[in-house]
Amino acid sequence: MENSSSTISCPSTPRWNSERPFLTGQFHQDTKTTSRFAEAKGLSVDSLSLGSTTAIGCYDAAVQELIVIDDLLSVLVGIEGRYISIKRVRGKEDKFSFQVDASMDLALQELSKRIFPLCESFMLINQFVESRSQFSNGLVNHAFAAALRALLLLLSHLNEWVPCIVFDSRITRPWWHNSNTSFDLEDSPYKACGSTPMMGSMQALSIVIQKASANNFVGSEVLNLLQSQAKAMAGDNAVRSLLEKMAQCASNAYLSILERWVYDGVIDDPYGEFFIAENKTLQKESLTQDYDAKYWRQRYSLKDGIPSFLANIAGTILMTGKYLNVMRECGHHVQVPVSENSKLMSFGTNHHYLECIKSAYDFASGELLNLIKEKYDLLGKLRSIKHYLLLDQGDFLVHFMDIAKDELTKKLDDISVAKLQSLLDLALRTTAAAADPFHEDLTCCVETSSLLKRLGTLDSENSRTVPGGNDLEEPVNVTGLETFSLSYKVRWPLSIVISRKALAKYQLIFRFLFHCKHVDRQLCGAWQVHQGIRTLKMRGTAISRSSLLCRSMLKFINSLLHYLTFEVLEPNWHVMHNRLQTAKSIDEVIQHHDFFLDKCLRECLLLLPELLKKVEKLKSLCLQYAAATQWLISSSIDIPSLEESSDGSNVSEKTKQSKSRSPSHALKLSSSNTNVTDSILKFEKEFNTELQRLGPILSSSSQTEPYLTHLAQCILGVGNEQ
Amino acid sequence: MPREIITLQVGQCGNQIGMEFWKQLCLEHGISKDGILEDFATQGGDRKDVFFYQADDQHYIPRALLIDLEPRVINGIQNSEYRNLYNHENIFVSDHGGGAGNNWASGYHQGKGVEEDIMDMIDREADGSDSLEGFVLCHSIAGGTGSGMGSYLLETLNDRYSKKLVQTYSVFPNQMETSDVVVQPYNSLLTLKRLTLNADCVVVLDNTALNRIAVERLHLSNPTFAQTNSLVSTVMSASTTTLRYPGYMNNDLVGLLASLIPTPRCHFLMTGYTPLTVERQTKNIMVSSYARTKEASQAKYISILNIIQGEVDPTQVHESLQRIRERKLVNFIEWGPASIQVALSRKSPYVQTSHRVSGLMLASHTSIRHLFSKCLSQYEKLRKKQAFLDNYRKFPMFADNDLSEFDESRDVIESLVDEYKACESPDYIKWGMEDPGHVLTGEGNASGTVDPKLAV
Repeated sequence: MENSSSTISCPSTPRWNSERPFLTGQFHQDTKTTSRFAEAKGLSVDSLSLGSTTAIGCYDAAVQELIVIDDLLSVLVGIEGRYISIKRVRGKEDKFSFQVDASMDLALQELSKRIFPLCESFMLINQFVESRSQFSNGLVNHAFAAALRALLLLLSHLNEWVPCIVFDSRITRPWWHNSNTSFDLEDSPYKACGSTPMMGSMQALSIVIQKASANNFVGSEVLNLLQSQAKAMAGDNAVRSLLEKMAQCASNAYLSILERWVYDGVIDDPYGEFFIAENKTLQKESLTQDYDAKYWRQRYSLKDGIPSFLANIAGTILMTGKYLNVMRECGHHVQVPVSENSKLMSFGTNHHYLECIKSAYDFASGELLNLIKEKYDLLGKLRSIKHYLLLDQGDFLVHFMDIAKDELTKKLDDISVAKLQSLLDLALRTTAAAADPFHEDLTCCVETSSLLKRLGTLDSENSRTVPGGNDLEEPVNVTGLETFSLSYKVRWPLSIVISRKALAKYQLIFRFLFHCKHVDRQLCGAWQVHQGIRTLKMRGTAISRSSLLCRSMLKFINSLLHYLTFEVLEPNWHVMHNRLQTAKSIDEVIQHHDFFLDKCLRECLLLLPELLKKVEKLKSLCLQYAAATQWLISSSIDIPSLEESSDGSNVSEKTKQSKSRSPSHALKLSSSNTNVTDSILKFEKEFNTELQRLGPILSSSSQTEPYLTHLAQCILGVGNEQ
Repeated sequence: MPREIITLQVGQCGNQIGMEFWKQLCLEHGISKDGILEDFATQGGDRKDVFFYQADDQHYIPRALLIDLEPRVINGIQNSEYRNLYNHENIFVSDHGGGAGNNWASGYHQGKGVEEDIMDMIDREADGSDSLEGFVLCHSIAGGTGSGMGSYLLETLNDRYSKKLVQTYSVFPNQMETSDVVVQPYNSLLTLKRLTLNADCVVVLDNTALNRIAVERLHLSNPTFAQTNSLVSTVMSASTTTLRYPGYMNNDLVGLLASLIPTPRCHFLMTGYTPLTVERQTKNIMVSSYARTKEASQAKYISILNIIQGEVDPTQVHESLQRIRERKLVNFIEWGPASIQVALSRKSPYVQTSHRVSGLMLASHTSIRHLFSKCLSQYEKLRKKQAFLDNYRKFPMFADNDLSEFDESRDVIESLVDEYKACESPDYIKWGMEDPGHVLTGEGNASGTVDPKLAV
């Protein structure tokens, strides 16, 4: 169909409309210039019979006066008289000059000249009306033209009063002095002009018209022009009210477009006059892929040329229709209940229209919020995401890591995502997650780069530059553990809130947590290895040293996890949750949600690459140590005694007793464990140095980021002046 | 079902507190007295499968073994409303039903005799779980069955399931008053050795403290066993909350224990439980603290885990935690940052309590050593008099007047006390490292219980 909203197809006026100028008032002037004869034929019988050859000066002044009045009456509706001719300035459509037969009585000439501006205004307006009635000029122009036409009609009826005006030289006298009987002006919008000094009003109008046609104004520009002109004429009450009435009439069409949008969420705008544009190429499905959430932000957008009386509320208007649209997309036909006084009648000073829009907005946002919260259970969904991506219910992960251990330790290319997915499903089914109705929306994916690298590209993605000059080198041995991530299927309309970008942030946090959990698990394994040898008397051995190191590492990773979850995620979540309860509109919801994510991202150190690198370094030390523990411990124990113990299946009481008595039979520490001691001390040294280095970084960054003091306290302890 | 835990309740005390524990779990998970899920228990989000298994559709059965050498308590359970809850195949009462006569050696010896039966039960139970995480043993250390047979079971479990965790809830005798069990110091000492060497974690439930709470806090002039037992069951159920109502952390036993236990032997945890207001959460060492001597003021926290159940504003908890850290309201070890953690956990929706929030503190605290010192000194007193040793000599372990087991146990406990004491000093890290010669000789009088030599 249409591929862009900017080209508006208008129906064209039929050709005969332009080919047969007789249908318009324009004809009178146009034909005059082309064929004098044709014009003569169209004139009234008496003007023909009188003949135009006789100079007016031949007549008596009183007769002249009658002829002039007759002529003036014609000129006033744009028809040349016998002695007053209309000259069109070539090339300029809107310039006219009036020529009076030179032989006319001078007083009459002067009097006539005073009428001419009125005539000119009339012609200009008439011309404008004719030209603006084309389809392509849009509804506002049509309405404006119609109002003008009605005004002109009124004027031509009033022409019969011209004589007395002229004779009384009372041209500036209010019309109603002469007439208040023939027309019922009370309820007509032209009441204003009834009480308007004719000349000023018409001139003001013609100025407006000239401006409008010179700039080819359409739609809101016309409205703006009318309003600003009315304001500019604030001193002249009559003119102002005429212009205001005109603006009122012209805006009616506009207001009905607005009404459709605000009450139904439909853009009914054939000529592209409305200030909200729809980009039909953006599909709602794109929200789940589009990182920028273009659909929500750009599907409907404000254009230029917002009418000034709506300028302040344009945003609200946009939202209102947008919300209604969302509901329609969800298959809910919602309409703002329209009552009599909610009709958008005017944009007068009483600001009634503002209230109407406001109440429509309140209704739409309330309905949508209700829909999203109740029917689509936004909070339930968010809670479910929190269970999985923020590990709020971490038991599924414990199980998943148990069963997917082998798959995850593979190299990236060897990992089967399908297998991981089935393991994940298994883990979800067998843990507390099974009770969550949304748990099936969880999918897993394996990303291609490590977290640090991903964060490196995050900024560039935001600022739309090509990720280059990235000094982070991809470690060669990236396994699934570093790149595993969960994803979550979010469907319309929840994808408005949980957009791709929001989900990506969740994923970043998840990956960080996931890796911390992995380190924690490995260290727990190491801890268990130490537990296994507690029967040994190990006071003063490398093992006791090692177990303390293990404790420090566990303490570090636990503190980190504790900080991330308990001090960052949970309180922030709590705050967001409360805010969501009281949020008034979906945009507020989005805003709170995004704020939550950004805050978490920042407080989870993910936006502080320097700090994060240190933490990663510490984590990798922990992993190295955990991997080495088994070897360290077993090589510090005598191998033979291990073997002995492993095959001692039928041990008699006697052996047990002898064992009790002679410790040489028991496990004992190997005497050649200097290597082990060395490497344990090396680990200890490295770990402590790294940890100490973290201190200054933390304290210096905490000047600007106060939450880091908490982390520092967690990891390094309070008053631990090392 | 992942990460299951099997509960062994041994002896009179073990079965009594075990029964209370299961009562409490049933209440919290909405399981009826017959093991059937109540109609209202539909909320989900909890992990029943850690402690229960499903026999059929809606029938939940505790992963529990009820073991005793005399039938009284178990008969009581079997005649109670909860008789249909347990798997009857998991109940073991010795044939003669004579009990262990408050004699550790008798319990231990009888344990050896029935090892096969019991291990069959344990194996069957272990086979029924997907990835067994560990065992929980409930017993008292003063009597005969819980201490003696419990000790034997600890050693056996350590052999057969060396990769699994063993956690015990051990009731320590009331040391304030003279016990009706005169050989209590012997029993305690011998059991303590096994607790030190063969358990991964011991939650110390001190009868002295329990009684004091019952008297001082609950205003019961003469607390009954049932009342103190219900205190114990509260502590037990609260300390397993993070496993049953998963949260951010501590969702498995190993994670829970690893963060609390600093070194392999210092694995004795104290508990405090309070229906607390957030402001007062530190004043709650109740259950296991030894008398507050002057020496105890030197005692320091090694690690703390506060499990808070119920709806609580995390920011508030966070703030009070901050306050504890900053104002140093309690002493922490100086040789490293102490670990203070809070786990927020859901509260069972099916149990109505008068207080909105309740909290359990699990702590590794050096003052626990005074409890052991007391045990040691009481033992020394008896031993000096050579009192009551004849009862022990009747059994093979102490046959031929071989009392080395006592000496060994004494050594183990003494070194444990030393280690805790060393923890209080700032340079604990270097503890025992000054003498490298000692390291190289590797001469330790370790008593091997890692190996399965005890298996018959």
